[in-house]
Amino acid sequence: MADKPIEGEKRVFMTGNEVVAWAALAAKAEIMYGYPITPQNEIMHYWTRMAPKFGREFLQTEDELSAGFTTAGGVLAGRKAFTATAGPGNTLMQEPMSMAEAMRLPVVVVVQQRGGPSTATVIYSQQEVTMTTMGGNGEGLRVVYSTATHQELFDYTIKAFNTAWKYRFPTFVLGDGYQAKMRESLTIYDPEARGVTLLPAEAYLGKPGTPGVDRPPAQYRNTYNVEEELYEVLQGYFKDYEKMAPEIAEFDAFDTEDADLVVISHGVVSRAAKGAVKELRAAGYKVGYFRPITLRPLPVKELRALGGRTKQFLVAESANGQLARLLKEAAYGCPVEMLPMYKPGVGITTEEVVARVKEIAG
Amino acid sequence: MEAYIGEYASGKSEVAVNRALQLARLGRRVNLVDLDIVEPCYTLRPIKRKLRDLGIDVLAWETRETMGLGEAGNILRPGNRWALRRPGDVILDIGYGVEGAKTLHLLEGAETDPDLKVLAVINIARPVTGSLPDIIAYVRELGRVDGLINNSHLGDETTVEFVQEGAAVVTAAARELNLPVAATTVLAGLAREIGPQDAVGNPVWPITRYMPETFW
Amino acid sequence: MSVQPAMPKSWRMDTKPHKFCPGCGHGLVLKALGMAIDELGIQDRAVFGCDIGCSLLSWDFFNVDSIQTHHGRTTPVITGLKRANPNLIGIAYMGDGGGYAIGSQHLVNAAARNERITAILVNNTQYGMTGGQMAPTTLPGQKTETTPYGRDPEKTGYPVQGPEMVAAITREGSYVARGTIANLNQLKGYIKKALQNQIEGNGFSFVEVLSACPTNWRTNAEETWNMVEKEMPKFFKVGEIKVPGAGKEGQENG
Repeated sequence: MADKPIEGEKRVFMTGNEVVAWAALAAKAEIMYGYPITPQNEIMHYWTRMAPKFGREFLQTEDELSAGFTTAGGVLAGRKAFTATAGPGNTLMQEPMSMAEAMRLPVVVVVQQRGGPSTATVIYSQQEVTMTTMGGNGEGLRVVYSTATHQELFDYTIKAFNTAWKYRFPTFVLGDGYQAKMRESLTIYDPEARGVTLLPAEAYLGKPGTPGVDRPPAQYRNTYNVEEELYEVLQGYFKDYEKMAPEIAEFDAFDTEDADLVVISHGVVSRAAKGAVKELRAAGYKVGYFRPITLRPLPVKELRALGGRTKQFLVAESANGQLARLLKEAAYGCPVEMLPMYKPGVGITTEEVVARVKEIAG
Repeated sequence: MEAYIGEYASGKSEVAVNRALQLARLGRRVNLVDLDIVEPCYTLRPIKRKLRDLGIDVLAWETRETMGLGEAGNILRPGNRWALRRPGDVILDIGYGVEGAKTLHLLEGAETDPDLKVLAVINIARPVTGSLPDIIAYVRELGRVDGLINNSHLGDETTVEFVQEGAAVVTAAARELNLPVAATTVLAGLAREIGPQDAVGNPVWPITRYMPETFW
Repeated sequence: MSVQPAMPKSWRMDTKPHKFCPGCGHGLVLKALGMAIDELGIQDRAVFGCDIGCSLLSWDFFNVDSIQTHHGRTTPVITGLKRANPNLIGIAYMGDGGGYAIGSQHLVNAAARNERITAILVNNTQYGMTGGQMAPTTLPGQKTETTPYGRDPEKTGYPVQGPEMVAAITREGSYVARGTIANLNQLKGYIKKALQNQIEGNGFSFVEVLSACPTNWRTNAEETWNMVEKEMPKFFKVGEIKVPGAGKEGQENG
């Protein structure tokens, strides 16, 4: 059996879904649980083709509830486990993820967003931002990375496992149908050869020794008797989350120092925004670019600083204000004016962003 | 009659489109058939009209004719089943991977037609077909294959050296498999630098990229 | 001076007396399970998963690693755990609502995939923890909070035949039985066989247990036992339904 899926580094040409499967292999993920839904299917297709060659496992479940809960089971057994889903599957996934929040289970979920509400389209959207950052009955105790390129899909899928196992919050890689299906080149690599330490998994249940004899039993619950008990547990979680937030929040920005208007976007739309800002700068517009990479937690400090010195944010997203809602909360009280550029379920091009900024500038 | 098969995202459709146009430019009657029933995007549907204007009969759905594409399944267009019976050249663009190659069985006459050639498109930048042993193992899985196409590229980063490296590896695999290499396909600009034959002596087919226009 | 009742070694003493109502069947089922764990010597590698509903009260019942899951989701959690670490002995413990209603797709598919886990389902003919509503197992004519005039099979169907269903969708290698708290020795034997079947890697193992809920039935001791021993068996036949290697399947599936 082959030892390492990737030796050293290799420049390759791939689709986004395939990138995720390779990244999970490279991150030493041990088992995937999944249920078919477009546009994430090729993650499973490639995982099931490659996994047996490297001693990894797969289980196709009966639905996404089961995919999420079996993934939780895999993590409880002390394995690096992940699943992938989209759209209505992500809706079902929120129930197991609320258990993962309650029990601090390092589950990794890759989401390839599709149109919504309901079955809608299998194509593309950024309409799963609210659900992925704040879904389930709870307080959004999770980490969400929003990727823009195939290279990032690879890098952040690997990072997601480390974040999850280090901080023990469920961690999402939020892609979309375009990223899933697009083809572009990237460098795949063995993370350890690059000096990236892959954190080991650790069993919650079934550790050595007889419970009650050699060690206390490991017993986990998600039901509490009284309000105060739950409150106390959650305070601990919030404290951990707040401590973690500045350590993991990531963003990308340029030309914001003297900008009157900053285009804010995330994920694949930021590719168009980046192109537009460069073009507008070249044409003499005082415009900047800001892109949160972590949507949860957001890079709040940087956003507030930006919101304090910039006149206008143009929020460009393929949803009806789901990113904007997060930004408004983060920048509450800042004098910045937020302008919408919402195209729910539809792609956004460089030309469209350029035209919108010119229209605003008059 | 030629059928293009191969790994997901190996460039089957791109090669098939260019081959159809190449034949059409010679004044031949060409039928280009979309037989991808696996992948709902990156297929011929979006450029159907454009290709028709260039003189090719395109047998494919209109995207708006399809409902819940990728959700309800990709329905085999009934007319496509009889594609091999059409007058003129027939170029088949077949869905990806091993399961995709089996799609050929759905066509009337595919097993018996003496003129049909099945060509496997290989890009060595695709990790599944990234090395000599990988290509050999992969092509053997595909079932019937009559020849290979070297379509090695890295998107916008493609260099002459990379194409030539692909040519060498694909040709070595072809020898092992006892198959001919039908061509090296390469973007027109780089094709001019390489000339009419690649370093191993395979014919070079210059191609133009149409598929980026076909994303859904 | 008080006399300590005999308790299985695998029980966790500091959480006893347990949290169930007086007369509840759960304590008896968990006693049978504890004895089976003791006799098989698997306390060190058993993992106990409990559902939501009254079964959740068992989350700290044993000196066994335990996980409290969501309503209906114990089967997939234990499935995922067992797939990830096949050395563990996975026990999914649930009620009739969790197994036959909200989690029925998981039970059906785990059985059909022949997951090497042991599912134990406690049938008390209604939802206990939410206050006594109709369950898939409620008997015809039985009054519950959502069938105040008695269950009308014309409108709400007949009691689910769980083990018979599981037996029908599993192949050779699975173990399926229906026990009762009215025969604890037999029940322990069934649960032990169900665990042994998992240890041997034969296949999916399922035991339904006819149990009592005097609190929601509002029955005294005599009426409770009448329900368990006389009324319930009219619809739910006690016995082994499928035994691996027996060369024949039980009469229920015959």
